Amino acid sequence: MKEIVQMIPFLGSIPLAVNIVVILINIAIVLAITLLHVAYATYWERKVIGHMQVRLGPIEVGWHGLLQPIADGVKLFFKEDIIPANSDKPLFYLAPVIFMVSALTSLSVLPFFDGFVIANINIGLLFLFAMSSLGAYGIILSGWASNSKYSFLGSLRSTSQVISYEIAMGLSLVGVMMTAGSLNLSDIVRAQQERWFVIPQFLGFFIFVVSAFAETNRLPFDLPEAESELVAGYFTEYSGFRFALFFLGEYTAMLIMSSIAALCFLGGWTIPAFITGWFPVLLKLPAWFWVVVFLAKVYAFMFFYYWVRATLPRYRYDQLMVIGWKILIPLALFNIVLTGTLRIMGVIRP
Amino acid sequence: MTLREITRALFFIEILKGLALTLKTMFTPAVTRRYPKVKRPVKPGFRGLHALAKDENGRMKCVGCGLCGAYCPSKCIYIYTSEGEDHTKTVDRYEIEVLRCIYCGFCVEACPFGAITLSEHYEYSDYSREPFYMTKEKLLANWDKYFTREKGRNYFKKFWRPLSEDFGTPEGQAVFKKRIQGVKE
Repeated sequence: MKEIVQMIPFLGSIPLAVNIVVILINIAIVLAITLLHVAYATYWERKVIGHMQVRLGPIEVGWHGLLQPIADGVKLFFKEDIIPANSDKPLFYLAPVIFMVSALTSLSVLPFFDGFVIANINIGLLFLFAMSSLGAYGIILSGWASNSKYSFLGSLRSTSQVISYEIAMGLSLVGVMMTAGSLNLSDIVRAQQERWFVIPQFLGFFIFVVSAFAETNRLPFDLPEAESELVAGYFTEYSGFRFALFFLGEYTAMLIMSSIAALCFLGGWTIPAFITGWFPVLLKLPAWFWVVVFLAKVYAFMFFYYWVRATLPRYRYDQLMVIGWKILIPLALFNIVLTGTLRIMGVIRP
Repeated sequence: MTLREITRALFFIEILKGLALTLKTMFTPAVTRRYPKVKRPVKPGFRGLHALAKDENGRMKCVGCGLCGAYCPSKCIYIYTSEGEDHTKTVDRYEIEVLRCIYCGFCVEACPFGAITLSEHYEYSDYSREPFYMTKEKLLANWDKYFTREKGRNYFKKFWRPLSEDFGTPEGQAVFKKRIQGVKE
């Protein structure tokens, strides 16, 4: 055991137990805060979409409906857990857990502010891709295990959609990796202190935004769920807390996509250098203050999610595939070539 | 494709217009009426819960002629009468099955005395069927509840006064109303 500890440079100096405790506390903090944010993301979505449709949204529970997510949580927790008789039981139990776990694991590599990240690994971005692909397993297993036509159709749609758009999303972020010269999310953010990557990588940002919508099964690409045709898609047969797991997983995935957008394109926790140039006071603020900056960016992106949902109708399935394969992937490849050329020419420097 | 069309497609002009619209809508006041707290004002002549009218002396106007029950399309009015002490007709039971009523208001039109009315009251949900079976007592209590105050009186006068008040009968014709009044005297 000692050898392993010594191999990791940072851990060798402090007793292992303390380290584990610190990491566990970090995980607890991040999980608690994220789940709270996820709960209130649902509230905020209902509020935003409600007002965009000239309604009020949740307003009765608590002041302006602020306790609504808690009421919903309590309701879902105590609901009857119905399991279809002909379902594949082990997979039926496992699917929401896979979905939720893959979403929550992604949180471990996100740097919320300078120096606060649970696992500061060098392949952070790749890890995020891996986890979002793993979430697709939860979806397809839930559709298969439910033994229902709607669920199965929804899960098939979702899988093909996620697989198609993952390529475009991965390729769109290659431009970011090339510009930053790193896969570590903290390093990517530090590379943006002078200038956000959304400026040199505007094409990549566009591709990322579109594929992020498709990846999280949100409107206008919510064909896997498609309430009007598939009831609720892959989680039609789920109820009670298992349904809540899917619901939370979806919103966590949204939160993570927004975080990736903020970290890779919008400068993470940093403020552009020209603003800190005008107000040098900002630099003297403690490190944890920057989490507010980060959250502001994440929430701006989340708002964009809701905004699009309230505006656009659903795409047809062949249109979705055409956008993915014929437009976004060639565009992303072009973006990579363009970024490479610009780097060789010396226009972009890491 | 013209250059204009290409630019429109390339920069998602239509989508951006839609986004601008939803954002603008977000800041307009909501049209939601928070029902139990904010009541919906009823339309003029709204046909709600039934009531049996009383005259100035507090006596039931209904004479038990049964026209309302005969007219009722859903046949939900039951009237039972008997002969009283001085050979007058007395109404023993006057019952309306509210759950079957379709609120057409024909009973009110049929009544020559304005004895049955529909009130503006529409909130009467309950957990069982019994409360919706309106007996004579309940219907008379409804009158006290919804028609004795100024608003209710005006409502009755405006919408539910008997047709005989507006349309008289030709001279010399036998008049139903007068004969009844004669009996009373």
